[in-house]
Amino acid sequence: MNAKIPLITNQYHHRGGKIVSNSLRFHTAVLAGKTTSFILKKVLKGEASAMPGKVAMQIDPQILQVVNQRCQKKILVTGTNGKTTTNNLLSHIIKSQGLRVLSNLRGANMPQGLVSSFINDMEDEYDWGVFEVDEGSFQEVVKHVKPDYVVVTNFFRDQLDRYGEIEKAFQDIFDALEPLDTTLILNADDPLVSNFKSLGKKNIFYGVAKNKFSNQEEGVIESRFCPSCATRLEYDYFNYGQLGSYHCNQCGFNNPHREYEITGVEYANPGYHLSFKTINHESQDLDFSYDGIFNTYNCCAALSAALEIDLESEKVIDSIGRFEYYLGRMESFQFPDKLVKVVLVKNPIGLGEVLRSLSLDEKTKSLLMVLNDNPADGTDISWIWDAQVENILQVKNLEKIYCSGRRAEDMALRLKYAGQDPTTLNVDYGMDHALEKVLNEDVEVVYILPTYTAVFQIRELIISRMGGSSKFMSYLRESLKNIKLKGN
Amino acid sequence: MELKIFHMYPDLLNLYGDLGNVTCLRQRCEWRGIKVHIIPFSRDQEVPLEEGDIFFIGGGSDRGQNLVYSHLLGYQRTMEDLIEDEAVFLSICGGYQFLGAKYIDAEGNDVPGLGIFDYETISEEGRLIGNIVTKNTLGLDPETLVGFENHGGRTYHDLEPLGMVVAGHGNNRKDQKEGMVYKNCIGTYLHGPLLPKNPHLADYLILKALKRKYGVEELQLLDDSLELAAHRRVLELYSPLK
Repeated sequence: MNAKIPLITNQYHHRGGKIVSNSLRFHTAVLAGKTTSFILKKVLKGEASAMPGKVAMQIDPQILQVVNQRCQKKILVTGTNGKTTTNNLLSHIIKSQGLRVLSNLRGANMPQGLVSSFINDMEDEYDWGVFEVDEGSFQEVVKHVKPDYVVVTNFFRDQLDRYGEIEKAFQDIFDALEPLDTTLILNADDPLVSNFKSLGKKNIFYGVAKNKFSNQEEGVIESRFCPSCATRLEYDYFNYGQLGSYHCNQCGFNNPHREYEITGVEYANPGYHLSFKTINHESQDLDFSYDGIFNTYNCCAALSAALEIDLESEKVIDSIGRFEYYLGRMESFQFPDKLVKVVLVKNPIGLGEVLRSLSLDEKTKSLLMVLNDNPADGTDISWIWDAQVENILQVKNLEKIYCSGRRAEDMALRLKYAGQDPTTLNVDYGMDHALEKVLNEDVEVVYILPTYTAVFQIRELIISRMGGSSKFMSYLRESLKNIKLKGN
Repeated sequence: MELKIFHMYPDLLNLYGDLGNVTCLRQRCEWRGIKVHIIPFSRDQEVPLEEGDIFFIGGGSDRGQNLVYSHLLGYQRTMEDLIEDEAVFLSICGGYQFLGAKYIDAEGNDVPGLGIFDYETISEEGRLIGNIVTKNTLGLDPETLVGFENHGGRTYHDLEPLGMVVAGHGNNRKDQKEGMVYKNCIGTYLHGPLLPKNPHLADYLILKALKRKYGVEELQLLDDSLELAAHRRVLELYSPLK
């Protein structure tokens, strides 16, 4: 079926015939958005991930419905952590099959972010729309965009606006899902997510079975209580946070059967070698090059969605093995003498899990942590004390830790109270300075863990230092990637 | 020497990094060779409170605080006796509000507190959020306390405050007072968490507990250069007193 929207008419219509918007307004909105995007990207050399959409929506508030109409099928990804990775991986998988995909790959996940992605990548028609959606914007987005599938990853506290509580995020999404005719792809291992089965939709559950990284000890946990009857939940094991194998002795609430399941996890530096069981009980092996059990979950979410929409499993597995993305959230830079890895840390569970994943890497290493307290980072930096920073003690061959950013001392203090030897800790506000020092360390790998507002700055500072051949190689790699994508 | 630190309702009152206060007390004791037992106390995890030397009560979500309150009512007398007997209490935000007579919520309903103190907290329009600096009333050096506050309730009382506001809001944004002190019980709105960046207050609490239990008069000094640097950084960024 062709759902193409005629471009040269006075009005275009909803399926029900309701007037959505008029074409003059729509074209003006798109033009304004594109102009904004051009100015931001070409003139100011900056990011254009939300502003063009914001401008366009001012002119045509209905523009999100056009996005809805032009995508034949839609998948939304929501939850606290892993949205951007899952969204990027899933889009990459679908694109690798030669399908046309519209997606907000840069993490701008409010309505204007979705519209920006459309303005920056405008087509008459897409096979799939794959969008990550902020928990707080979910209700607004589904008023216009009607998803065929919704992937829910997890619920953790974010460092932003935490007094709003995750119970509210949960309830907002629950209420927004209720009237929708959609299939839910749910993390079976998070009791807060699996509880969505009570909506009575078609549910597909995914999760990660007990593996060598599972543990018995409770770490940072959002809720130890049964979402159904508020009794304390019993756990057989934890994979991370409250994700694991749980049951309630009172009402019987427990992990639903996982239709798609990661059954084995082996560390392969970098990344993981995973074993996987499909809904048809077939076993498969795959490689995914991003560290951390949380990324195993992201991989499982995208993989489950891809197989659920009937993509061919061999091709899916192949494309996952080739997945790379470069947003500054997880990015590697090869210097002549060392590898530099940047991983965004933005909330307690993320910080703890990133540190845990470092403990698998035997290479000699130094660390740069950048803690800012700008509004976009969260002005309250106390969240670092909710994180399992103690995981730093398991990191092997660690030479030095540099702490930078506006609240550098707070980060250093957190590490000291986690038990890290204070003589390994160095405080330096100047990010440039601190970066210079850590790059001069005689180590095989440098890990950089910045908060949100520091990520893009750090990325620029790193690239400006990648002199000569490494800079060239980096450009070459990027160009090759683009050719490969177009060739598909 | 050993101290028992009761961490009250760690599974329900666990917002804003307040866990860091327990981490801080533990480390500062252990660095001095003082043994520490951290004892979690919660629903389905009741332990006799009389054994505790230091009690820590943090803040939680509304749901968490309601669950705690109904449970804690059964321990009202015990807690009151402990406070009179000079046991060390650190109660933050929701924990501080609990100790008072009542909380008047946004709809004007009275929610009774434990009533150990006779103050009340009133929910008023707009949350008080941000970095805060006060001058402490305990005679500690340095005289400033730094933290981060995030509360909708305003608390009014005539008790001795923990500090006078230099930057930020404090108990109610009106009378410049922040927190309260009665014997060895401290109530405050300061998160941050409070103790790591205010090592002088952490040591004050540890010393009070050791004095009550063992008659100890002074503590071995620690190298607090990093703690005080973090303290100063907050002053530089957020206080008119630099």
